[in-house]
Amino acid sequence: MQGAKQLPAAMKRQKRPGIGRKLRDFKENSPYLAMILPAVLVVFLFNYLPIYGVLIAFQDFMPGDKILSSETIWVGFDNFTRFFNDVQFWPLMKNTFLLCIIGFVIGFPLPILVSLALNAMKHKKAGKVFQTIYTAPHFISLVVLVGMLQLFFGRYGLVNNIAASLGGDRVSYFLESSAFRPMYILSSNWQDFGWSAVIYIAALSNVDPVQHEAAMIDGATRFQRVIHVDIPAIMPMISVMLIMSIGGLMGVGYEKALLMQTDGNLAVSELISTYVYKRGLTGVPDQAYATAIGLFNSVINVVLLIIANTTSKRFSENSLW
Amino acid sequence: MKNMKKWIALLLLVVIAVTLTACGGDKKEEPKATEVPAATAAPAADDTAKTDTAPAAATGNPLIDNYGFQWADASAPILNEKGAQEISFRVYSSKNASALDYNDMKIMADLFDQTGVRVEWENVSESVYAQQKNLIFGNADNRPDALYHAGMSSGEIIKYARRKVLVPISDYLDYMPNFKKLLEDRPDIKAQLINVSDGKIYTLPRIEEMGLLQSPNLLFLNVNWAKEVINAGAVEGLTEDQLKDGLALTSAQMEQLLAYFRDHDMNGNGKTDDERPLSFVYNNWQGNQCDLYGMFGLNDNLEHRVLVDGKVTYTVQDDRFKEATNFIANWVDNGLIDKVSFEQSQDNFLANGKGLETYGAFYWWESETVVSNPENYIVCSPLIGPGGDETICVSNNPEVGTGEVILFSTCQYPEILLAYFDRYYDPVVSAQINYGPIGIVYEEERDEKGMLVQKPLPDGVTSDELRLQNAPLGIIYLGEYAWNNVVNMEPRAQLRLERLQLCAKPFVADSVKPFPNLQFTLEELNTLSNYETNLNDYIRTNLITWLMKGGVSDAAWQSFQNDLNGKVNLAGIQKVYQDAYDRYIAQ
Amino acid sequence: MSVKSLPYKEKHHALKDTRGDKIFFVVNAIFLGLLALIILYPVYFIIIASFSDPDAVLGGQVVLAPVNITLEGYQKVFQRQDIWTGYGNTIIYTLLTVVLALAVTIPAGWGLSRKTTPGKKFWMLYFIIPMFFGGGLIPFYNVMSSLKLINSMWAIILPAAMSVWNLFMCKTFFESSIPEGMLEAARIDGAGKFRTFFSIVLPLSKAIIAVMALYYAVGQWNSYFSAMIFLQDEKKYPLQLVLKEILIASESTVGGSGETILQQYRLANQLKYVSVIVSSIPVLCLYPFVQKYFAQGVMIGSLKG
Repeated sequence: MQGAKQLPAAMKRQKRPGIGRKLRDFKENSPYLAMILPAVLVVFLFNYLPIYGVLIAFQDFMPGDKILSSETIWVGFDNFTRFFNDVQFWPLMKNTFLLCIIGFVIGFPLPILVSLALNAMKHKKAGKVFQTIYTAPHFISLVVLVGMLQLFFGRYGLVNNIAASLGGDRVSYFLESSAFRPMYILSSNWQDFGWSAVIYIAALSNVDPVQHEAAMIDGATRFQRVIHVDIPAIMPMISVMLIMSIGGLMGVGYEKALLMQTDGNLAVSELISTYVYKRGLTGVPDQAYATAIGLFNSVINVVLLIIANTTSKRFSENSLW
Repeated sequence: MKNMKKWIALLLLVVIAVTLTACGGDKKEEPKATEVPAATAAPAADDTAKTDTAPAAATGNPLIDNYGFQWADASAPILNEKGAQEISFRVYSSKNASALDYNDMKIMADLFDQTGVRVEWENVSESVYAQQKNLIFGNADNRPDALYHAGMSSGEIIKYARRKVLVPISDYLDYMPNFKKLLEDRPDIKAQLINVSDGKIYTLPRIEEMGLLQSPNLLFLNVNWAKEVINAGAVEGLTEDQLKDGLALTSAQMEQLLAYFRDHDMNGNGKTDDERPLSFVYNNWQGNQCDLYGMFGLNDNLEHRVLVDGKVTYTVQDDRFKEATNFIANWVDNGLIDKVSFEQSQDNFLANGKGLETYGAFYWWESETVVSNPENYIVCSPLIGPGGDETICVSNNPEVGTGEVILFSTCQYPEILLAYFDRYYDPVVSAQINYGPIGIVYEEERDEKGMLVQKPLPDGVTSDELRLQNAPLGIIYLGEYAWNNVVNMEPRAQLRLERLQLCAKPFVADSVKPFPNLQFTLEELNTLSNYETNLNDYIRTNLITWLMKGGVSDAAWQSFQNDLNGKVNLAGIQKVYQDAYDRYIAQ
Repeated sequence: MSVKSLPYKEKHHALKDTRGDKIFFVVNAIFLGLLALIILYPVYFIIIASFSDPDAVLGGQVVLAPVNITLEGYQKVFQRQDIWTGYGNTIIYTLLTVVLALAVTIPAGWGLSRKTTPGKKFWMLYFIIPMFFGGGLIPFYNVMSSLKLINSMWAIILPAAMSVWNLFMCKTFFESSIPEGMLEAARIDGAGKFRTFFSIVLPLSKAIIAVMALYYAVGQWNSYFSAMIFLQDEKKYPLQLVLKEILIASESTVGGSGETILQQYRLANQLKYVSVIVSSIPVLCLYPFVQKYFAQGVMIGSLKG
């Protein structure tokens, strides 16, 4: 009797692997779905609803026009071609790209290095103090930061005064093209590295001490422990941050460059964003043009992201998707 | 563990509850915001509350019958009591941070008493306005009646006019006696306002003509230091009694003075290297370097574009520009011009002038704000160049601000609002709009010439603070008539005018004029927006290199010219301006 | 007691530092110390500049000590009523944002980190796309307008409740820091997904919760742009916007003659530094409390037998 009952059940399970199984899986894992739902909602409301605005890039648009109606004036890719044909197109691309990539190459590893160093400190209390100090610059507003740069690196600023007292020449750093990128990039890194290190510090703090003990028992030095225990522990975080940063590479804003811009450094300090901003101030305000350029930037960023993600998948376990 | 779960669940519940009630609660505030648009929406039969239920007011007749609407008599009320209660307008405006809310200003209360037109001001700061402007236009359903301090560019006006978003003010000129007369008296102002595509006027202008803006620079020289140089015998042909306002130095004499300043301890602090012989603020709207080009007969300015005999002329195409640049670069090389002039902001410039005297000579609007002891400085006539030329910068800063006020076409009674704004152009009202109301800034009684008299200042406040608090500024007409019959120029402006009469105006040829506000077609605007930024960038990057690094060689100058004529498309830009100017003259 | 549960210090005594270790520690300390100096000087400068005469600051005379000490900047700031309402508003907005953001982000990070979440790849894409494509300010404003959020504080709180960067950081943390063993044990014990999350995952996630709270809090504390766009009522302005408005007074191009403009410039230049101090001190003071949660290894010996 029992055998007869069992057989149909077993056959049942084998006969319907598809839908029943999938439904069961869904039901079993639906709590996870419920957990991500609020986030989905927020993103839907505030990111997806307004997304139709990208269509402006393909229109002749003034604020007040309806974006999707019979009266919208479609111009296809005109805004894009106008940008590509601009006399300054290549210089702008070059300036923006160089600024971003160099900034990234210097700025990405720095928080990681600092977090590893802090984590490896002998005096934990000193480490905590240092950590707090490092995060202080994050709160300095852009205007103050550039103001300080001008005070420190101006012709009669601190750096030049020291140089002059040592017998050197005064240099107008703000007027030199070659000084723009270093000042821009290094000041940004100076401001951000402590703040960006926080997530790595948090990840490091969750490393199982058992691993460290095992390494020590194996005779590893502290330095070797950094390489073989700490770094692998935060590798997933590093990968994700790397991929996301590359995906946002070209998205540099105009404010800082505009504040630091002078006639002397215009050749390197004119970025896509500053150019668009300045054009918007003169004569014809052109929302559509700015949107088109933003869209163009986004496309580049997407391409970079896909490359970064694919590369990461190939060389490590970690990727975004 | 269980506790934690409970807390988290509770927290989530609280958050959700708060979110919902907050969203619900805010709905209560909505009626306030949506109430007013009812006053400005297109005539809707079922509007309640504020506005009357009269049909579209284009004919004006119901307005006259019900509300006593009159406009011809500029001294009588525009609306009667009923109108004053039932009709109101919503005007959005940026304002100076020190100013009171416009609704609290006495001048607005006075204007209401005089006209019976109720205006509800919505003020924001300038930075907020810059962002909000696009949003206001973008929010087609909820626009105010008008924008004040609107800052409309000609491109915006053309595009919005085409979309029928703005009220064509020129259609309502009959309701605006003051403004109409202004346009008839001043065809030049009218020409600056007319929209090219349809010949209508869409904005109200701001006119403050003091004759000061065209010459933004004056050369000031440290008298005591100059005396020392004379006594040392280091400068030729200059005597002490010549050291008065209006002194005309040759470039050679200036060089000698500056060289002496550079090398000696002029301010008595024991150091010979902290004196700044000649300073300015490079490419600043005031106190810039352009007067130096006058030594070679060029009326340069920040755009390097000026009108000579009605022709659009770019100074950078003139060979004299090369000579002047090299001459100035030589001064820079020799330390006669403080190199920091090229990178400092005007804040730095002004800060450095205080305290211990370091400025030997400088260019600025005036001396009183620059140095702690302005009595030690005289104002000089333009420098006489090696070839005997003596002229100055002619700046394109306009005294007429177009684009100050616009009305949205959703305004229900534009004729009433325009008749109201028309009152602002009466000189007495203009003076109060610009400087402050009678009763706070001015006495009730005029003086024997009929001019407004300033009240003594209350304690603890400067005249500027009082002005900024109580004067909204904006659409005014202060021209010669006003200065002679209604209100005195501020003493500071008066002083500058006298200095300009002495040291600037006589040295500018009549054939040289600054640009008025020009109106362009959309195609012209596109040309400008495509090429002008690039032109400016190109000139600027080259010019600073030349000035700071020893000048420009003939070869470099030639290639510069080739570029201007070639890829930079200077000719195209020039044509745009010429066409626009020719149209302007033809008006 | 097993070796595992000994505190770190005692283990160090058990195995002495090698010479290589000593050099490493010294070099490490020097590196971090130099970094600290590079950070400290400009921060110190801001402090002394906020107490100094603005002309002296602009003239480059303030180097190691304040010049012409003046409290004028602080007076001007704290006299204003709107600074205090600004503080109050910012505190409220920040608290609400953090609570909401944590409630939204942490569970979502957990959900995304699980391999069996339905449609996981789709959701990843869903969250990534808005990082790149945005409609711009005008459609965003119109959406907020339709949601009746204009002039409401929720206009600046709700959109800030979810940041995709933070979400992905959370997800990565959960993927690599919660040991499978514990989850397996919970499953065997019969705990459901929700129960596992609340009872096991959250207590182990103090570090990431602390980081998220910090990032969201500071993000909201420092923001002003949304407030500038959506809040019409000045009484609702957060601190940063109030400070910005005070600074703008100097850049006002409308009216005023030399004296006032000059005064305004001077004040603004001084206020720049005062405003940094005023707006950042409260948060910096809070930071050490957050650091507590970065404590070493929360799970020593927690795997039950």
